[in-house]
Amino acid sequence: MLGVILNPYHLQIVSFILINIILGISIYITLSSGQLSLGNAGFMGIGAYTSALLTINFDLPIFLGIILGAVVAGVFGILIGIPALRLSGVYLAIATLGFGEVIRVIFVNWESITQGSIGLSGIPHMGRELFKTFSLTGFDPDMLGLKNNQFIYLLVVLTLLLVNILLIWFFIRQNKSRVGRAFAAIKMDEKAAESMGINITYYKVLSFTQGAILAGFAGALYAHVMAYISPADFAYHRAVDILIFSIFGGSELIWGAIFGATFMTILPEALRFISDYRYMIYGVVLIAMMAFRPQGIIDVSLLNWFKKKLKLKRGGSLGIRTKKYN
Amino acid sequence: MLLEQIINGITLGSIYAIVALGFTLVFGVLGIINMAHGEIFMIGAFIGVLITSVFGLPLWIAFLAAIGVTAILGYMLERIALRPLRGKQGVSHLAPLISTIGVSILLENLSHHIFGAGNHPFRHSFAQIQFQVGSITIYLVQILIFAISITLMVVLSYWLSKTKAGKALRATAENLETASLLGVNTKRTITTTVILASALGGIAGILVGMAFNSVNPQMGLSMGLKGLAIIILGGMGNVKGAMAGGLLLGLTETMIVAYGDSGYRDAIAFITIIFILLLRPQGIFGKNTAEAGR
Repeated sequence: MLGVILNPYHLQIVSFILINIILGISIYITLSSGQLSLGNAGFMGIGAYTSALLTINFDLPIFLGIILGAVVAGVFGILIGIPALRLSGVYLAIATLGFGEVIRVIFVNWESITQGSIGLSGIPHMGRELFKTFSLTGFDPDMLGLKNNQFIYLLVVLTLLLVNILLIWFFIRQNKSRVGRAFAAIKMDEKAAESMGINITYYKVLSFTQGAILAGFAGALYAHVMAYISPADFAYHRAVDILIFSIFGGSELIWGAIFGATFMTILPEALRFISDYRYMIYGVVLIAMMAFRPQGIIDVSLLNWFKKKLKLKRGGSLGIRTKKYN
Repeated sequence: MLLEQIINGITLGSIYAIVALGFTLVFGVLGIINMAHGEIFMIGAFIGVLITSVFGLPLWIAFLAAIGVTAILGYMLERIALRPLRGKQGVSHLAPLISTIGVSILLENLSHHIFGAGNHPFRHSFAQIQFQVGSITIYLVQILIFAISITLMVVLSYWLSKTKAGKALRATAENLETASLLGVNTKRTITTTVILASALGGIAGILVGMAFNSVNPQMGLSMGLKGLAIIILGGMGNVKGAMAGGLLLGLTETMIVAYGDSGYRDAIAFITIIFILLLRPQGIFGKNTAEAGR
């Protein structure tokens, strides 16, 4: 039964969606403290190459490689984030864009290690490694009525889903905490936030670094899901992709980034015939969104409206009637 | 050898400078980084290829056509992507940046579809004319490029400082509201600025096509990013700074290619961006104000 529903192609798309959601959250987190970073593609590349090289050359377990990839990206995030504090708005966007391009040029030219623009192939695949461990315990996918191939992709999706749920839960919690409020205050007005006693330096670097870590983490996952990476994967277009996730979905809420990443990954797959025009449509979407709905599809008022609807439904007809008589 | 490299560097630098002039004009008046400028430049180059190679018409027609098309593009950019955002409540200051990124992706992929991904040669007999001075070869195109860029800069400086329209432009750049109170038609001034900047981009596009004999849809992106590097180097909104920054970057890049590792040529601009922004956000030629870079 399960074997019929699960199509490896669909599972692959779901895993892309899940990785893109992490990327969407990575730019949402930096935006939530009012910083626009266009360098997330660069951080993603750092994470991907770190993890891929460590697992290929030193036979490190994948999960260790992914964590190290995220850590290295985070270290770069701190290194860029601290001096970038002097910049804001457009200047920060340009500096981070420059950073991303420098990273890409280094990947292309450092041929002895990164194999230049040919890219790295033969990266251990996350699903296959997981499958090996499962096989050792004597588990056979046939018991679920699945083929090996399906089971491998299913394992990837389930792992990514677990990671996503943990991340989303963490960042929703963080938004409701002191840290989240500090980010929001800095976004609204930096000087006012500073006069309220918020340590701007600390929180801005924190949000920038969190974004870098997430992007590096997503990059490392990407490397082990694709099993092949090249510098072109982390170029300017990737930075724009990531930006679109958040801008289209809504940059005020974490749900905006999640929705944007999901929608923007499905759209070109669902409409195969327009996939050639994908970037043209992206361009039009960016222009139209800025002109008509600069806050993105999902914003606070839409979420509140949705919550109200949900409450009414849950309250049932009785709830509505009592309200009427009051 | 060195002299030849310097000439190449100046040629490249003059083109960079024209691209940067377009950036700096828009930034000076609107405070906006026009990310679509590189793609407008690329369209200008394609128009040049189309007119000279495909239709076989003379070069001056190509120039006129490129200026015309890019000016129209500039007008559309202003009407579609920039004007709707101006003066609107609750629009983040990053909105125009993102909107112009949208225009740039649209234009890049549009030309990708129309012209294909490959390189287009810029076939023109004019590009082959060369002189032998001692042991150095100078192409007529190189002299032309240098002359055009110097002329453009002189005319632009004169126009900005002496004519009424130029003064209106500078007044708008200083303060939009005050300028409009004093009777400057700021809407028209802004439109003029964007059109002028785009036309400059178009001219630079044709010059690049002639100098390097290759035009492709991706050239806009790298040129746009380099233009950004130059205006940051020269100080945002500073016309003379853009010229000097352009020449500096052109010379540095040529020297790196000649005597260093050519693979890192494209990285120079971006490393420059990062260091200048971090060490001297107002640019090398910029005024020293506390607000610069903020």
